[in-house]
Amino acid sequence: MFHSFRQAMAWLHTWFGLVLGFVLMAAFFFGALSVFDREIDRWAIPATRFEPQPMPSFEKVLRPAFERLQPPPEMVEAMRPRVDGPMPERFDRIAYWSAYTTHRDPVLAIYAGWEVPGARNPDEQLYAVGTIDPRDGTPLPDDRLKIGSGFFFPLHYGLTLDWKNLGIWIVGFSALVMLAALVSGVVMHRKLFRELFTFRPGKARLRSALDLHNLTGVVALPFHFFFAFTGLVIFSATYYFPLGHTQLHELHELHEQHEAAALGLPHGRSGVPAGLANVDAMVGEAQRRWEARGMAGDVGFLVLQHVGDANGYVSVYRAGTDRIALVGQGIHFKADTGALLREDPPATPVARVAEFLTGLHLQHFRHWLLRWLYVFGGLMGAVCIATGFVFFVEKRKRQHARVGSQGVRIVDALAVTTVTGMVLAALGILVANRLLPEALPGRGDWERFAFWGTWALALVHAGWRSAPVARGLPNPAWREQCWAIAVLALAAAVLNWITTGDHLLRTLAAGYWPVAGLDLALLAVAAIAAAAGHRLGRRAEAAARIGAHGGEAAHA
Amino acid sequence: MPEPQIAHGWLLLGAMLACAAGMAWLALAMDVHARQVWGRGLAPAMAKGLRVLGALALAAGLWLCLLADHPTMAVLVWVMALAVGALAVALLLAWRARWLRALAPWVRRAA
Amino acid sequence: MSATPVPASHPRLRIAARTGAAVLGGYAFTWGFIAACTALAVKLGMDFHDAEFLASALGLLLFLAVFLGTVASRRGALLLWGVLLGGGALLAAAGSLLQASIA
Repeated sequence: MFHSFRQAMAWLHTWFGLVLGFVLMAAFFFGALSVFDREIDRWAIPATRFEPQPMPSFEKVLRPAFERLQPPPEMVEAMRPRVDGPMPERFDRIAYWSAYTTHRDPVLAIYAGWEVPGARNPDEQLYAVGTIDPRDGTPLPDDRLKIGSGFFFPLHYGLTLDWKNLGIWIVGFSALVMLAALVSGVVMHRKLFRELFTFRPGKARLRSALDLHNLTGVVALPFHFFFAFTGLVIFSATYYFPLGHTQLHELHELHEQHEAAALGLPHGRSGVPAGLANVDAMVGEAQRRWEARGMAGDVGFLVLQHVGDANGYVSVYRAGTDRIALVGQGIHFKADTGALLREDPPATPVARVAEFLTGLHLQHFRHWLLRWLYVFGGLMGAVCIATGFVFFVEKRKRQHARVGSQGVRIVDALAVTTVTGMVLAALGILVANRLLPEALPGRGDWERFAFWGTWALALVHAGWRSAPVARGLPNPAWREQCWAIAVLALAAAVLNWITTGDHLLRTLAAGYWPVAGLDLALLAVAAIAAAAGHRLGRRAEAAARIGAHGGEAAHA
Repeated sequence: MPEPQIAHGWLLLGAMLACAAGMAWLALAMDVHARQVWGRGLAPAMAKGLRVLGALALAAGLWLCLLADHPTMAVLVWVMALAVGALAVALLLAWRARWLRALAPWVRRAA
Repeated sequence: MSATPVPASHPRLRIAARTGAAVLGGYAFTWGFIAACTALAVKLGMDFHDAEFLASALGLLLFLAVFLGTVASRRGALLLWGVLLGGGALLAAAGSLLQASIA
């Protein structure tokens, strides 16, 4: 189909980049925001603005909280048709209780799963999530949308399009296209090292857009490649290539049984009821063992399997705060006696690589500089894609104007929507979060509506203002949305002050960085957007003046 | 054994600066950028010297990163520091090229 | 070297066929590769989850290479579909055979 490899790569880069670029912008931008997802949660849910806590005592805090958990009524109802016999009033055949925490979590998420007696598929379970204050176990309302970890984060890997996991598939495909775009980009660019530092903002817009596109793509090339690749790897076995649950199901089962037998960690319930020994003592023992191995640490993950059954066991995992791996060094105890069952041996080389690649992407480590460098990388990716759109439009604007085509106008409007529109949507949800009444039922749904509504408005505005593009001129929507960003970002920070009293001077003085950091970021966004809007305005005025003087074509 | 917070901060600052300086020296060793900064190209020996200096600085940056953190994290910090350094140098070359003269004060600019 | 003759030109159809081969054919081929690779690794003694991870990581890189190669290839789309679907099926079959020999 193509004359040369290079030509094929150029075609691929341009057209797949254009179509999937819209999805990739969202993945990179919301991925960058997700680096500080828990901090955004603190800003959005003022009741949780306290210091991160270590994993609390099981006996004093977690146990009562777990015992209170029951599956939500809607889930029970949804499963009824797949169960023979009545659904129990209270579910107590506990499959697991678990709690996970990191050094950035003030509140604790707890999870429970239950087996359902009479279920046609014995593997189908009911489950529930709860949020508690780890200092005393008070349940916190679950109806507050965690804008960071509960919205921006799922948005970046699945566009919150949950129907048949369609969003996850779309983002997955766009990640593959990202990898293809990086390779094809290198093939097209060729002078990778010679032009590494080349950025000529003074030149024609087409050239400087391309320079910036190359610059942001190349300097962070390892970052872009690794994040797209590790993102795919993380979801591969569960979503994209689920061989373990399909074609290789037998091998998977064999492994489960083998592991249960060899390691003494029972796969299923025995049916014989048993008690639960002191879990705090088990945790203490685990911490002693880690320290003996020269890796003293906090508890990151606590799991209790088959609670109340003779086969029950408790697993304590160390938080990977000081390294890339998420959690590790699991130590397992028999639930009814507290006896040590097994201490996980050091990971195999392949498992170590898997831990590294997963931990690299999911970042549960404590390293504030690296976190900010990740945000930098994510924003570089977003700029790379955005300048790609700008280059595409600039290159074709004049040709399309001459032949009267509307094609490039549509692309430009979509580009505005994806770049400035996306930022506006993110700001829209934060502003709505502060403006909506605290006790509003379905508050989270309203916040989500504010997000999508703002984005839709940006699309309409971009389309409505895009007529000049069909004449070869810039779309004024870029400038106008920059100003809108400046206003909304400032409004969000001010609203935080008005509605919670946590203004910058107070949060900075107290050193409460989750809120201070987000407020500072909002102010920085406002300043940058205002500067950009101003610059674009001046350029438009200059072009209008040149245009008014004898109709010469504006030199971009 | 965790480094005290302050020492950790200094090591990382040193690493970021070393990577930025290294990138700058590598850029200055290139003819097109030497012209941007000094108005003239450099003698091959001088360019080579700057390349060596640049490489040493990048290596020093990696070493500082390894002193600061567990190797799995140190490598990531270093790779990202290289990215930041390269971007900073590119932006300086575009808007304030003359500032980079300070990194090789022994070079005389074009008459 | 001439490309396999293509029916009288519908460029959109050609692009669709080529893209389809790269995406869907590539997916099928990768599935087969992961099946064969996972089963082989388990047969050679590797832990299942390790094998699955290794095969997936290699498989994704393979998918990338196949995707690029299919787009750039001078061969006709029909041949590419054939090779990718056929190859994928063969690899998948190999995977299932290996699984049967272990389980």
